[in-house]
Amino acid sequence: MKILGIITVIITGFLLLQAERDFPDWGDAASPASDNRLSQHYITETINETRVSNMVTAVLADYRGYDTMFETVVIFTAGIAIIGILRVYGPSTKLEHPEPTLDTEKPDLIIETTCRLLIPIIQLFALYVIAHGHYSPGGGFQGGVIFGAAFILLALARDLQTAQKWVPENRVLNLAAIGIFIYAGHGVLSLIFGENFLDYSILTKVLPGDAIDARYHSMLGVEIGVAFTVTAIMFSIYSNLASNGKMEEGI
Amino acid sequence: MILNTLSIFLISIGIVFFIGGAVGVLRFPDFYTRMHAAGKGDTCSMLLILTGLSVFQLNDPTLANFLVVGKIFFITLFIMITSPTSTHALIKAGFEEGIKMWKRDETKEDGE
Repeated sequence: MKILGIITVIITGFLLLQAERDFPDWGDAASPASDNRLSQHYITETINETRVSNMVTAVLADYRGYDTMFETVVIFTAGIAIIGILRVYGPSTKLEHPEPTLDTEKPDLIIETTCRLLIPIIQLFALYVIAHGHYSPGGGFQGGVIFGAAFILLALARDLQTAQKWVPENRVLNLAAIGIFIYAGHGVLSLIFGENFLDYSILTKVLPGDAIDARYHSMLGVEIGVAFTVTAIMFSIYSNLASNGKMEEGI
Repeated sequence: MILNTLSIFLISIGIVFFIGGAVGVLRFPDFYTRMHAAGKGDTCSMLLILTGLSVFQLNDPTLANFLVVGKIFFITLFIMITSPTSTHALIKAGFEEGIKMWKRDETKEDGE
């Protein structure tokens, strides 16, 4: 059986290495990805059409808004599925711990101080990553994950109840839904004003500046929506996994 | 030139500490001594390597490079705070779970 596995691995690896030779060279200007009109359009026109210097953000949040919107929906659905599978309602059963040899009632001084110092910085940095996605690597997904990680750190350093005071379960789910609502709201609003779904340039009627500014600001808006959903679902997944779905006592 | 030499020196020392930490994690007998090697080795070597990198950046003293040095300084600060804390938290958790400490006479039974 082991020999069969090795033979399969060797054959598959050989085929993969053979197929790898057909790939275009790294940075090849004639490769299919960079040798078409669409990529050229993104590369040359993004800065004129949206005033966003990070074209990844522009492609993600504007040109391919549908894709990103449903990516956010996928994350939301994953969170709902995890809650549906793991969450247990019913009589509380305490997790079994061995008898502690130290006084664990008091929070540890070193961990406490470090978390007090770091959590605000992490959250500020998350906001920076969300807001600075127009100019540097970052955006809603990355910033949302960092923001969620700040809450997870709080739950790890103290316990799940302390973190739950800040983000209770119902508030988490509301936040996740609000995120998608913000994103889809941008699309529906452009529909109402008589343009295509997620065509932000018409939003100049409600946002300051001209049509290009409207696209620029709407991108920030949808990034914030994405960040809401990702933050909420990140923390929800952690708290369900860590407490066996009981949301009482985490690790 | 002198900055390059200093940078190479710092990074080499940092790599030596890294190797020490890795060997310590593999060779030390129990959880606590392993965490000791991992925590101290990683923190010290990261500090040295990052300092070496920022010294290297100072070769070309422009404003952009000074910004890079500032960012590296903040990363260094971050690692200096978080890495010892995580080691402390892990060891405390292990102690509360009742992991036994290594004693000299037990080694012969384990055969390590």
